Amino acid sequence: MTRASGWRRTAYHLLLWLVVLIFFAPVAWIILSAFKTTNQILAIPPLVVFEPTLDNFRQIVADPNAGRFLWNSLWLSIIAVLIALAVSFLAAYAFSRFNLKATNFLMFVLLSMRMVPAVAVVIPLYLMYSALGWRNQPLAMLAFYAMFSIPFSVWILKGFIDGVSRRFDETALVNGGSRWHVLFRVVLPQIGPGLVAAFIFNLIFVWNEFLFNLLLGGRDVRNIPVSFSTDLYSDGGMNWTFVAAMTTVYIIPPMIIIYLFQRYLLVGMTFGTVRGEV
Amino acid sequence: MSLETLSPSSGHQETLPELRTNSFRRALARISHLTDDARIFPTLILLPVMFFFIVWNVIPTLWMIGLSFYRYSLMLGNEQFLGTNNYMSIMTDSQVWEALSRTFIWVGAGVAIQTILGLLLGFLFWGSRDMPGRRLALTLLFTPMVLTPVAVGVFFRLLYEPTFGIVNYLTTTVLGVQVNPLNDRAIAFGAVLLVDTWMWTPFMILITLAALGSVPKAELEAAEIDRIPWLKRLRYIIWPNAKFILMLGILLRTIDSFKTLDLVYLMTNGGPGNTTDLIALLLRRKAFEAFDLGWSSAMAILLLLTAIAFTSIYLYILNLNRRRQEAIV
Repeated sequence: MTRASGWRRTAYHLLLWLVVLIFFAPVAWIILSAFKTTNQILAIPPLVVFEPTLDNFRQIVADPNAGRFLWNSLWLSIIAVLIALAVSFLAAYAFSRFNLKATNFLMFVLLSMRMVPAVAVVIPLYLMYSALGWRNQPLAMLAFYAMFSIPFSVWILKGFIDGVSRRFDETALVNGGSRWHVLFRVVLPQIGPGLVAAFIFNLIFVWNEFLFNLLLGGRDVRNIPVSFSTDLYSDGGMNWTFVAAMTTVYIIPPMIIIYLFQRYLLVGMTFGTVRGEV
Repeated sequence: MSLETLSPSSGHQETLPELRTNSFRRALARISHLTDDARIFPTLILLPVMFFFIVWNVIPTLWMIGLSFYRYSLMLGNEQFLGTNNYMSIMTDSQVWEALSRTFIWVGAGVAIQTILGLLLGFLFWGSRDMPGRRLALTLLFTPMVLTPVAVGVFFRLLYEPTFGIVNYLTTTVLGVQVNPLNDRAIAFGAVLLVDTWMWTPFMILITLAALGSVPKAELEAAEIDRIPWLKRLRYIIWPNAKFILMLGILLRTIDSFKTLDLVYLMTNGGPGNTTDLIALLLRRKAFEAFDLGWSSAMAILLLLTAIAFTSIYLYILNLNRRRQEAIV
């Protein structure tokens, strides 16, 4: 775009903001609804101006189930992603530096795991978890989520490790460093952004995950998305105030994350295959 | 006495721990060199990933392949070898073909609309570098695609509510038409697709911005100076540079769209009738409501093969893009 005169630039920026607000409107409406009482939500015509209430959030805090499901969402995603990062870092280094025959094949398999419909993947796992009595076991759920995060992490970290020159490795080895030294003291410090991007986006994916938790999990490991499909009804109808408040609580963290880590959004949403600035 | 003054005990205590850590470190260093062999080391660091991969992937998949040749129902509990009968019955099942063609319409229409909108808005946002509040604006714009599909499904049920939902209110006051989007056979598919479009158009905007960002600035400036008409710039400068990232984005969106489950499951669960019944929803119902796992395994394997085909195409384009980038560098 060329430099336009003042008012045209202003008009252009206003247009951009208009587009942004149109896309954000549904979310804004839900956040607004979270501050309404039941009667205000049911009001016709819908209320835009009203007296906000925090009762819905108090209800969430008071509800022991809501707290437990939120806690499950939180610890499952963070710990699983940390495990996945450790495992994936080692694997990505092996794929990047040793010309293994299986590299291309394994990278392909990992990528195709991202492409398969989740419901096709969950069938054999469901059988396995049922047979071994692993359903509703926190550790089994955690291990699954670690597995779930590995393909993306390997892809993204391999990209970043490829970007670190092999000369660093060679120099360290020639000077008497062991390969572990190369791994943790030479390569690891240089791929910080890759680790951050992998951590952030896996966190979002596990945070959003629904189907596997529904089928492989149970009451003890249930996360919020599953509770949306099973626990939202009270007295036969939808508990809309609770829905609005709970969705608000649940969607705020990803929004904050993409505000803070906006430059990783592209790499995160494309499996680490596309890099660039937005 | 002189010895004691020469080597005061306090001095010993200061040097000893240090010595110990040094020897400890040296021992550690010696041990860490044991795995330096160029064959042992990669095997060693691949062990954890192989463990996860084999336990959570290879074994279950093999199990599923085996099961796809059996009649196996969790409810009835009878097992019977069927050979390829499960596959045959999928091929001749009209429900499967209906769900598949619905899924193709879902993917085709959805991806086309999202790509076109994404391209238009992406070009619009191309010059937004000095937009006030850009970071906040982009966050709000890109929010839909990082939201939990389940939460989106639930809150669109609130927006689409036929009595007090805001969508019905707007259509009633503006168009004079009452709507009940999720229970009306005629518009349910469109209503759900609209939500999908809302969620994923920002992704295509993101991809378009990335693609445009990959066009060399020098070439654009040269075209600007030479006053080359817009269409020519598009064709000879922007398209050759931007096409790979665009194709990757479209392909990724196609695959994800093909996988859609959570969103529709929460909004309509395939209804009303079966107007929004996509292939993933059908498979979920067969496997976890009818518990017909032999049949479902066969279906899952067919989807797996589809995914492998998609992945091959994706990697092919990715490699083309990589070669292009290396050529530039």
